[in-house]
Amino acid sequence: MAAARTGTARQTRIKKALKAALRPELATGSDKSVKIRVCAGSTCNATGRAAVSDALAKELDKRSLSDTVEVVLTGCHGLCQEGPIAVVHPKGVFYPRLKARDMAEIVETSVVGDDVVERLLYRDPATGEAIALEKDVPFYAGQTRVVRKLNGTIDPTSIDDYLSRGGYAALAKVLGEDAPEAVIDLVEAAGLRGRGGAGFPTGTKWRYCRANPGEKHYIIANGDEGDPGAFMDRAILEDNPHSLVEGMLIGAFAIGADEGYVYVRHEYPLAVSRLRHALEQARERGLLGEDILGTGWKFDLKINQGAGAFVCGESTALTASIEGHRGMPRGKHIRTVAHGLWQQPTDLNNVETFANVPWIVTNGADAFRALGTEGSKGTKIFSLAGKARNSGLVEVPMGATLREVIFDVGGGMQEGREFKAVQLGGPSGGCLPAELLDTPIDFENLTRYGSMMGSGGMVVVDDTTCMVDFAKFFFEFTAQESCGKCVPCRIGTQRVLEILERIAAGEGTEHDVELLEQLSDDIIEGSLCQLGGSAPNPVLTTLRYFRDEVMAHVVEKRCPAKVCRPLIKYTIDPDACNGCHACFGACPTNAISGERKQLHTIDQKLCIKCDTCRQVCKFDAVPVVDAQPALVEGRAQ
Amino acid sequence: MPKRDERGTTVTEPKGSALYEVLKGIDFERRELVDKSRGVGLFDLVKDKGGSYKCYACTLCERTCPVDCIEIDYCPEFEELPFDREAERALALATLPGESCGANAACVMGEKPAGFVPEIDMKLFDPVVAGIRGGTGLVEALHATQDAYGYLPRMALEEIAGEMHLPFSRVFGVASFYAQFRLTPVGKHVISVCMGTACHVAGAPLVAEAFSQELDIPVGGTTPDLLFTLETVNCIGACALAPAVRVGEEVTHARMTPQAARKLVAQLRKKEA
Repeated sequence: MAAARTGTARQTRIKKALKAALRPELATGSDKSVKIRVCAGSTCNATGRAAVSDALAKELDKRSLSDTVEVVLTGCHGLCQEGPIAVVHPKGVFYPRLKARDMAEIVETSVVGDDVVERLLYRDPATGEAIALEKDVPFYAGQTRVVRKLNGTIDPTSIDDYLSRGGYAALAKVLGEDAPEAVIDLVEAAGLRGRGGAGFPTGTKWRYCRANPGEKHYIIANGDEGDPGAFMDRAILEDNPHSLVEGMLIGAFAIGADEGYVYVRHEYPLAVSRLRHALEQARERGLLGEDILGTGWKFDLKINQGAGAFVCGESTALTASIEGHRGMPRGKHIRTVAHGLWQQPTDLNNVETFANVPWIVTNGADAFRALGTEGSKGTKIFSLAGKARNSGLVEVPMGATLREVIFDVGGGMQEGREFKAVQLGGPSGGCLPAELLDTPIDFENLTRYGSMMGSGGMVVVDDTTCMVDFAKFFFEFTAQESCGKCVPCRIGTQRVLEILERIAAGEGTEHDVELLEQLSDDIIEGSLCQLGGSAPNPVLTTLRYFRDEVMAHVVEKRCPAKVCRPLIKYTIDPDACNGCHACFGACPTNAISGERKQLHTIDQKLCIKCDTCRQVCKFDAVPVVDAQPALVEGRAQ
Repeated sequence: MPKRDERGTTVTEPKGSALYEVLKGIDFERRELVDKSRGVGLFDLVKDKGGSYKCYACTLCERTCPVDCIEIDYCPEFEELPFDREAERALALATLPGESCGANAACVMGEKPAGFVPEIDMKLFDPVVAGIRGGTGLVEALHATQDAYGYLPRMALEEIAGEMHLPFSRVFGVASFYAQFRLTPVGKHVISVCMGTACHVAGAPLVAEAFSQELDIPVGGTTPDLLFTLETVNCIGACALAPAVRVGEEVTHARMTPQAARKLVAQLRKKEA
C-alpha cells in the first residue's frame, strides 16, 4: 500500500514536471483558426519552398492577416515528387507544385474565402480527377502512419508542438512506473524488430545489454543511412527529431545507460542542425541532462557525424568511428551488447526503431501487434523512388504487398512505362521481378526471395534499365565502399565488378556467369561483416530472376534495354527526322552532320554515346539499336 | 666438403665464395635519405623475363595506398607503350608537389624542393583546438578543420595530431579513410553529382560524364583555375528529384540532363568571368 502511494506521488511529480516543460503559447496554432502548413522538407526546399513561403507571408502581410492566419513550416509531408506542398487548414486543402505567383490566389480563395483553387489542385494520375483534400489523395489514403503520424503537422524546430500533441508522455509514463525491466518486457511483447535491416528483436537486444556488466552502458542511434535510395531516417531526424530523442530516453532508461550518441550522416546537414536544435530545447526544458523531469535520473545525448563511409552503418564500424578510428568492422564473436563503444555494453538501434518506441509505450503492445504479420509487427517506412509516379515516403503495415505500395500508394509507373523490377534494401538487397509483386513485405519473405528489408529503400525500375548495368552499379558501390579489412570482400567485390564489366562490354562468356555465382557464394561465406555478406545479393537476384537478360549480353552480345554502351549505337531514323537541327546543336563532339531541314547523320567514329541527341529530339528520331545486329540476326535464323 | 672449425660448425670462406662475389659490389655503409620531404614518385611496371608485365592488377596497391594515388583500371588489351621515363619525370616535376601527395613518403624525386607545404591561416584553426579541448572526437575535429579550410591541409593534420597526442599516421589514416575528407584544396564551386540508385536509373552517370567533359577534369578533380571541383556522392536522399546535382552546400538542381549540366557549367563560368 505504501509502495503504491509513493509510486503515485512520483507519478504526480513527473506529470507536473512535464506540464511545466510545455509553454503552450509557443506551440503553433493554439489560438488561431486558420493555419497554412508549408512543407519545409529537404526536397521541397530544393524545389523552391523559400520563395513560396516568402510570397505567402508577403501576401498575408498585405491583407493584414498575419495575426489571424498562421504559417507553419512543417517537416516533410512525404509526397516529395509534388513539392513544394502547402496544406490550408482547417479544411485541409492540398496544393502541390506551388509557385510563388500562385500564393495570392490561394490566400484570396482558400483563406479569405472558403473555396478551392481548382486549377492548382492535385490530380489523380489514374483518373485525372482533381482532389481537394489532403486525406483523399491516394498517396496518403493508402498509408498507415504510426511513426510519421505527426510529420507534416508539427514544426520540427518547436518542442512545444511536440509536447502539446502528447510528446514525452511516454517517457513520463515510463519514469513514473520506474520499472526498466517492464519496459523491456513491453517492447519484447510488442514484437518490435530492428528497422535497420537485420530485424533483430529490439527487446531481446535491450535485455542482453542491460544484463551485461560494465562500468557504463551506452545507447546509440544509427542514423548513418548509407543505402543509396533510402531516406527514411533523414525524414525522422528532420521532421520529428523529438520522437527519436524520446525513444532513446526510454531505451536508455530501460537498459540503464546514461550517455548516448546519435550517429548521423554528414550528407544530411539539415537533419544535423534540426537534431542539434532539438537537443538544446530538450535540455532547456529538463527533458535531457541532469535530473530529467525532476526524477534525479540523468542522461545526455551527443551528435556524431559520419564522413561518407557506407561501412559505418555496420555496428562495430560505427563504434570504431565514434571512437575516432578508421571505420572498420570487427568479428562478430564479441557482441556489441557486451563490448561495444569504449569496450562497454552498448545498445545500437536504428533511428526508425527508436521512433517506434514512444508509440508502443503509449498505445501498448497489443495495439502494435495488431499491425503487421506473424513474424514482423508494426509498420515500416519505405522510401519509394525511381520510375514510380509518386516518389516519397510511404508508411505501411508490415505485410502489405509490393503491389499495394508501388501501384496503390505510389500511383503506379510513370506515363507509358512498364514495370520491370523493384530493388529493395539498397546494395545489400536484391531486385524482385513483376511475378513477385503480390508478395507481402516482411523480413522473412524478402530474405526468402533473395532480397532483404534493408533500411527500406525501394527503387522501382522500368524497361529502360539494364539489369546487368544495375548490378554493376551496386558492385561499383560496394567495391568502392569495402573498407579493405578482409580479403573476400576487398578483392572479391573487385573481381565480381570486373566480370560484370566484361559482360556489359559484350566480352563475357558463359563461364563468367558460373564464376559470378561461385564468387558470390565465396564472398558471402568468407566476409567478416554484413557489407560483404550481403553484397552479392544484387548479382544473385539478377541471375535468379533476369538470367535471360544476362545471357543476351553473353551469348547474343546485345543489351535488351539498350544501356550498355559497347553493345549499342545511336542512329537517325530517316522517316522520323525532319532536320530540326536540335541534335546538331546539342552534340558535344560534333558527331552529327546535316543541313537544316535535311536528314541528319551520326558519325559513329565521333559519337561518344552520351544520349544527349536522343533526349533533345522531339520526334523520337534517334533510335538506339544493337551495335552488332548481324550477330543477333545470325542467332535468330 | 665444407671446412669445419674445432667445434664442428661450418666455416664459410670469406673470399672466393659465390655469395661473396654477389655481395662485394654492394656498399653497406649506413646512409641517410637525401631528402625526406614529400615528393611525387614515379610508377613503373616491372616486366618479367618474357617481356610481359608482372602486374596482374590484384589492386592491393590501390587498396593499401594511404593517399589513394593509385588507380587500377581494367584493361583487357594493355598496349605496351614505350615508357618515356624522362618525359614522365618532367611532367611530375612540373605539377606542384606539396599537397599532391600527403604521405611523408620515401619516394624522393630529388631536384626540386618537394617538401613545400603551403602556409595556412592558423587563426581559422582556433575553433578546432577549442573543440578538441572541449572533448570532441577525431572525426569531429577533422570535420571542423574541413569547414574552416575547405579541405584538410597537412599542417592542420599535424596540429591535430599534436593536440590530441596521437601519431600523425593515425590522424592521416582516419582522414584518408572517409570519402568526405579532402586532402587537396577544392574549387570555388563544388559540384556534387548524386549517384544514388534512383539517380542512377534516371541517368546520373551521363550527367556526371557531361560535367567531366565540359570541365575537362575527371570526377574528383579540380580545375586548374580553382573554380570547379567535380565529385560524386552516394546519395543525398533527394530521390524524388533524380538525377540531383548539388552545387556547394545549398543549391540543389533537380532532374538534370547532360545538356542541362553543360548549360549549368556555362552559366557558372559566365558568372565568374
